[in-house]
Amino acid sequence: MSDQIMIDVDNISFTYPDGHEVLKGLSCKIMKGEKVALIGPNGAGKSTFMSHLNGVELASSGRVSVAGVEVTKASLKEIRRQVGIVFQDPDDQLFCPTVFDDVAFGPLNLGLPKDEIEARVDQALQVVGLEDFKDRSSFHLSFGERKRLALATVLSYQPEVLVFDEPSTNMDPMNRRKLINWLKESDKTILLCTHDLDIALEVCDRCLMLTDGQIIAEGPTKQMLYDRKFLEENKLELPLALMTHELLHGILHTQEDMDEDHRDIISKFLHAHRHAHGPGGHEHVHLHVHGHGHEHLHEDPDDTHTHSHGDHGHGGDGHAGVPHSHGDEMTSHHHHDDHDHDHGHDHDHDHDHSHDHDGEK
Amino acid sequence: MHISEGILTTPVWLAGYAGTAVLAAVTMRKLDMEEVPKISVITAVFFIASLIKVPLGPASIHLILNGLVGVVLGWRAFAAIMLGIILQAIIFGHGGITVIGINSLMLGGGALIAYMVWQQRHRFSFKKRELVFGALAGAAGTISSGLVLAGALITTGEEFYAIAATVLAAHVPIMLIEAAVVGSSAAFLYKTKPDILAGRRQTVKEG
Amino acid sequence: MALDIDRYHSVDSVVNRWDPRTKIAALGILIFSIALVKTLPMALVGFAVAVLLIRLTALPWHFIFHGLSFVLIFLVPFFFIMPLSYPGESAFEILGLGFAWEGLRLATLIFIKAISIVLVTYAIFGSSRFDISMLALQHLRCPKVVVQMLLFTYRYTFVFLDEMRRMHTSMQARGFIARANMKTMTILGHFVGTLLIRSFERTDRVFKAMLSKGYQGELHSMVEFHSHGIDYAKAVVVVVFSLALVVGDFSGQWPQAVQGWY
Repeated sequence: MSDQIMIDVDNISFTYPDGHEVLKGLSCKIMKGEKVALIGPNGAGKSTFMSHLNGVELASSGRVSVAGVEVTKASLKEIRRQVGIVFQDPDDQLFCPTVFDDVAFGPLNLGLPKDEIEARVDQALQVVGLEDFKDRSSFHLSFGERKRLALATVLSYQPEVLVFDEPSTNMDPMNRRKLINWLKESDKTILLCTHDLDIALEVCDRCLMLTDGQIIAEGPTKQMLYDRKFLEENKLELPLALMTHELLHGILHTQEDMDEDHRDIISKFLHAHRHAHGPGGHEHVHLHVHGHGHEHLHEDPDDTHTHSHGDHGHGGDGHAGVPHSHGDEMTSHHHHDDHDHDHGHDHDHDHDHSHDHDGEK
Repeated sequence: MHISEGILTTPVWLAGYAGTAVLAAVTMRKLDMEEVPKISVITAVFFIASLIKVPLGPASIHLILNGLVGVVLGWRAFAAIMLGIILQAIIFGHGGITVIGINSLMLGGGALIAYMVWQQRHRFSFKKRELVFGALAGAAGTISSGLVLAGALITTGEEFYAIAATVLAAHVPIMLIEAAVVGSSAAFLYKTKPDILAGRRQTVKEG
Repeated sequence: MALDIDRYHSVDSVVNRWDPRTKIAALGILIFSIALVKTLPMALVGFAVAVLLIRLTALPWHFIFHGLSFVLIFLVPFFFIMPLSYPGESAFEILGLGFAWEGLRLATLIFIKAISIVLVTYAIFGSSRFDISMLALQHLRCPKVVVQMLLFTYRYTFVFLDEMRRMHTSMQARGFIARANMKTMTILGHFVGTLLIRSFERTDRVFKAMLSKGYQGELHSMVEFHSHGIDYAKAVVVVVFSLALVVGDFSGQWPQAVQGWY
């Protein structure tokens, strides 16, 4: 992630012809290479905001700049080269007879030579895993395939910035996982507008909260998405990954007379959660550190594997003052091949590494 | 209802082409880039909607809805109808290639007349205005098409008089059905998404 | 309902290999020459050629027949109405109506011509991919904007057919049965209205998606057309035949079916 400002939105406002004011003085900045989540309740203006990023709508006041170039009627062509939007409904974006044609649409509009277009199409289709579908009609694909195809149609355009509108809606879990992996590995500047806070948690460094036509808050994912109270004020909820945690934690905390076996099972379960691998490596943020065992369920083998303490974000009641300790017994390690653990913290843990290896990505 | 291949004589279907070319050129002037997908999509909807069958006694008939195209697209309705006719000829072979001109003229012209009837609503103001004028537009669209069709048949030859008469008679129940459906549609659209309807007088001046 | 006429476009044949531009132009001329025919013998010749052409395309018969069925249903009544309503003298009477042989002849003529033209239409558009046929039309000087709209409409027809089926299913699930009464008409009106609204909202989104990918009003294509000698040869054969058909028709050798004021 560089220091170059990729998108600079400066106090824009926008009103629809029917008088409905949707954006009311919205400002934000997105750096090159950043992955940002745009979250907020329905009707806040997320779609309208996205349309301003590539000049499909032009703000009535304020300015939008992409890579230093201001978005105006004259600069539209150049802006659209830089910013690609993947819309929510694939059927809105697939309108050519074959898969090949749909992916070639963007490059054709750029006026590129024929062999370059073919190369780009092949590349884009490979990225989304649809290279065998070149001559098929886009209408005859399944929903998941069409969603991937829609992404390919923007990829072939090769913009620097990729904006996604609800990318994971209606996707089956496997395709969703593939998408997440792709997003994490990409070096592009990415803006995810989504209600799927779990994707945001996994993929994005930073969150912007858009409510009522304004960005009312922004901050690192680790702060914003852990703040239950703030999320609920804006008609959102904690990401599912964090909810279960909270719920179980709540159970443990309130049921004083629970027998030890049950307590043990729940506490093991509490920490046998999937790692939310933050961007920039493999980081396990400890949420609750209490007197119970600690298990890691690793999804993918990785040779940079560190555990570090993060904040304990609890809404409302804090947990300051609760004793932190861990059991010291080391159970057997089940290591796979090249999996090295480098634990960078000073607590001893019960480690039971069960590796869940996916086949291929 | 439109006419199929082989029935009309050469002067008639040639005249159909001439008329269509003129009307198309006139109504498609200054076509905005944004209107291209709009007209296409509306045409697709009507193409599909015309597959809806309405039971009528022992048989069932297909909806035509050219009146509704007029109500929704205004002057551009002619283009949409023409596209629909061309596609029908190519895809179905139903109402064939030589008669694209006369069929477009018939149904497209009907759509334009329906639009003109629809626009008269501005002279009135009562509660069910859109329903009534929608129905009138639907009826007008059907009657005009029927008259053109009958006219084409009669111009072709005396031997088609009986058929022309039958066709006109058949248009009466069709007209009633079209009036009902188009009226109901127009009222529905007015309530749910009024800016779809064509020929609205702007109260807020656009900048 | 077979909406995709180009379903079998990849079937290899003499016609399939014909450059679409010359194909459409030549076969178009054939269609119009058939339409001009007024004598039964020539109509039959035209019909034979149309059948031959379809055989040459190697398109499956069930597919062709399905397409023909629409025209057949439309035209069969003519065989009853025409002879019984023909003006002038009648040969004998059926149920009080005069039966004229001339009427039957005319009906037969119409029938044969219509079927022939539909067959040739299938030969043209069933043997190439639809968008390629449209592009060929554009090369033949059809206005670009019309071609663009035809392409979009074709594409979205399938999407809306799907949507309509879904809406219909949900209506039936709530007990809707179409009858010939006002209630049905009202519901149909709402149904069409809903379909319209959804399509309008969709065009908005589609347009935005197109703009986002650099659309500026013109559709570009990678398709290139090549004409070789063989394409022109095929065209010449067809055109010559078409002329012969018309000439033979006008030659006065056979009685013309009386149709029209002349």
